[in-house]
Amino acid sequence: MNQRLAGCACAALLALPLAGCGNDDVKVYKVAKADDSTPAPNAAPAAAPGEMGVPPAAAQPGGPQLKWTLPDGWTSKPAGEMRLASFSAPGKNGNTVDISIVPLPGMAGGDLNNVNRWRGQVGLDPISEDDLPKQGQPVTVGDSQAVLYDLTGTPAATGGMSSIATGADGKGRILAVGLHREDMMWFFKATGDDDSVGLQKDNFISFLKSLQFAAPDASAALPADHPPIGADAATPPMAGQSLPPMGGDAPAAAPAGSLPTWTVPTAWTSEAPSAMLLARFTATENAAKADITVSSFPGDVGGLLANVNRWRRQISLPPLDDAGLAAAVTSLTTSAGPASEVDIAGTDPKTGQPAQLVGVILPLNGQTWFYKLLGDATVVGHQKADFLQFVQSVKY
Amino acid sequence: MFLERLIKFFASLRLTVVCLGFGMLLIFTGTLAQVPLGLYQAQNEFFRSFFVYWQPTHSAWKIPVLPGGYLLGGVLLLNLVAAHSERFSLSRKKAGIWMIHFGLILLLLGQLLTDMLAHESSLHLRVGEARNYSEADRAFELAITDVTDKDADKVVAIPERLLLKQGTVNNSQLPFAVRVDKFYANSAVTNQAAAGYEAAGVNAGFGATGIWLKSEPKETDMDLRDLPSGIIDIVTPSGSAGSFMISAYFGAAQQFTTGGRTYTMMLRMERFYMPYSLRLLEFKHDVYKGTDVPKNFSSRLVLDRPQTGEHRDVLIYMNNPLRYDGVTFYQASFDQDDGGTILQVVHNPSWITPYLACFLVGAGLITQFLSHLIPFLKRKRTL
Repeated sequence: MNQRLAGCACAALLALPLAGCGNDDVKVYKVAKADDSTPAPNAAPAAAPGEMGVPPAAAQPGGPQLKWTLPDGWTSKPAGEMRLASFSAPGKNGNTVDISIVPLPGMAGGDLNNVNRWRGQVGLDPISEDDLPKQGQPVTVGDSQAVLYDLTGTPAATGGMSSIATGADGKGRILAVGLHREDMMWFFKATGDDDSVGLQKDNFISFLKSLQFAAPDASAALPADHPPIGADAATPPMAGQSLPPMGGDAPAAAPAGSLPTWTVPTAWTSEAPSAMLLARFTATENAAKADITVSSFPGDVGGLLANVNRWRRQISLPPLDDAGLAAAVTSLTTSAGPASEVDIAGTDPKTGQPAQLVGVILPLNGQTWFYKLLGDATVVGHQKADFLQFVQSVKY
Repeated sequence: MFLERLIKFFASLRLTVVCLGFGMLLIFTGTLAQVPLGLYQAQNEFFRSFFVYWQPTHSAWKIPVLPGGYLLGGVLLLNLVAAHSERFSLSRKKAGIWMIHFGLILLLLGQLLTDMLAHESSLHLRVGEARNYSEADRAFELAITDVTDKDADKVVAIPERLLLKQGTVNNSQLPFAVRVDKFYANSAVTNQAAAGYEAAGVNAGFGATGIWLKSEPKETDMDLRDLPSGIIDIVTPSGSAGSFMISAYFGAAQQFTTGGRTYTMMLRMERFYMPYSLRLLEFKHDVYKGTDVPKNFSSRLVLDRPQTGEHRDVLIYMNNPLRYDGVTFYQASFDQDDGGTILQVVHNPSWITPYLACFLVGAGLITQFLSHLIPFLKRKRTL
């Protein structure tokens, strides 16, 4: 009897772990259309969990900060996980225009790629670099100047894949602005059917003008004692333990609370760092200026060659190969060991003026630290010694 | 005959000693393995497995070198049940022994159930914000949402585990199949051709104008997590509706239209929906007077359940979680500006088992002790 009992128990126990293995089910559910104007619990039926409004990324600590004045009739919408903010504006025939603000660290892609992507979304053929300047119109975005692209087309022309709402005539329209600002690429878009977007174009332009960029609280990038999500786990695409070279400067900041100490040269002015930087300073001489930035993030960030080439692109220099890299890099002794130093001269792609970049890359305890002095060639030349002394003064 | 030998083998005390010995070795090596593998991978390879494998360098072969946690736990459980059945008869005198053993069995089974059924996630709320879902800390899902209807969206969420198998996913709720051509559990993405990266070669969505990706080793650092990327094809009955790159680097949804319906698609942290919502009213971060030393963290929330009309305030603070509807919400962390809270959300259907097991073992020990003490005292009195 005992043996039977034991035998049955053995069989049951053996079957138990096997029965529980695997949980690869696809989940299917309905969610109510989000409405962030009243982020109260929605009335989704019991079997259909409802989706609540996602918090505006602007409200998230450490995220890029932006203020604006909404034109009449515009209403806020849930921001979404990438959008800093979303709005809806009334269009024609009961249609709406979707307005979005998306800040991307690094993932800039270049103006031509962005414009061609937008063109593709409304079914227009890509254009060449030469045609790009003819496409846009100047527009003011806060205190910056940018280019507004007004693109109208038939989205259905792109192989049945459409991300733009269209009117009865099948035409969709995009108003899009890409703004490079510090180490971020800001995308502002209004999309909808042709007539509705046309109706809101002036409002969109005045909205862009009303924008005010504010420095985020970099120290609040993430809670120091965040649960397993991890100290670098900002919402993608800000997350990323080893981001490769992208269009902009090195994104991602070091974990909160891990700032080293350093001695800042007296001639430098401390500036509010962007979300991706740990510290930022400027040095000015007459009207000329140079920026000094400090950033750090996990991993090798693509390696020395990729990062040096990323810096070279920033001053319009062609990339190096391994052999060229060896000649371009010198060693700099720091308090945490030897670092790689580059000193390169090129031209500022925006102004065409001579520019110089002195950069130091220091791998340390699984992080890579980036120190960069970039700006007017004369100012950089004068500040180089102070900059290197600053880097050497850092205590980790 | 065979069954008897089998029972004898499983009831053997030698087996217990061997299992305990392997258990010690497993814990020792598993702990050391956390250095190169990281906590999660070491857990999976050493403790959530039947065997621990060793893979020689440059070889596709995997050689089992140690029994894994599941195997050891399972054999120990069998050993306990078999030994108990063989050696102890059900009698009043042995009631304490029965209770102790049953408590141990319950403890082992409870841990197995916890491992298989429990899941943990996080709920991040800013003050004033409400949500009715929590998000996994590491697992991703591909959420394909039909946004065509005005009233509600229909979501089909494909777990990362399925995407990693790189097959074709069919679901009756989708008029197309999702063919996963590539999927990397951890990846790097760039928008410029670079050494070591492969062109995604997709013709729709974010990567259509050129994007490159590469597989990266799984992240072992506790503070970091993997960022997966992949390439999928939307296969309709009339052919491909486009190939897309999906990536955790894309924080926004990609949109496409097929068969007259509009869908969005996004690789996002796996979501766990609840039939109620929590709204953060206030987060408090108290410190000891005159210092920055934290004294208490507390979150005051409103729990809303429209289906039952339940609407009440709840207070969650350290060591005082909210237990509701089979889910426990712990105060786990907070935003540095004190404007938001992070709750750890634990769904563990077998949470009661360790309490019951400890109670049974304790009661069994007392019973067994008393069953000897009382006769002893009686005997003494008669002397």
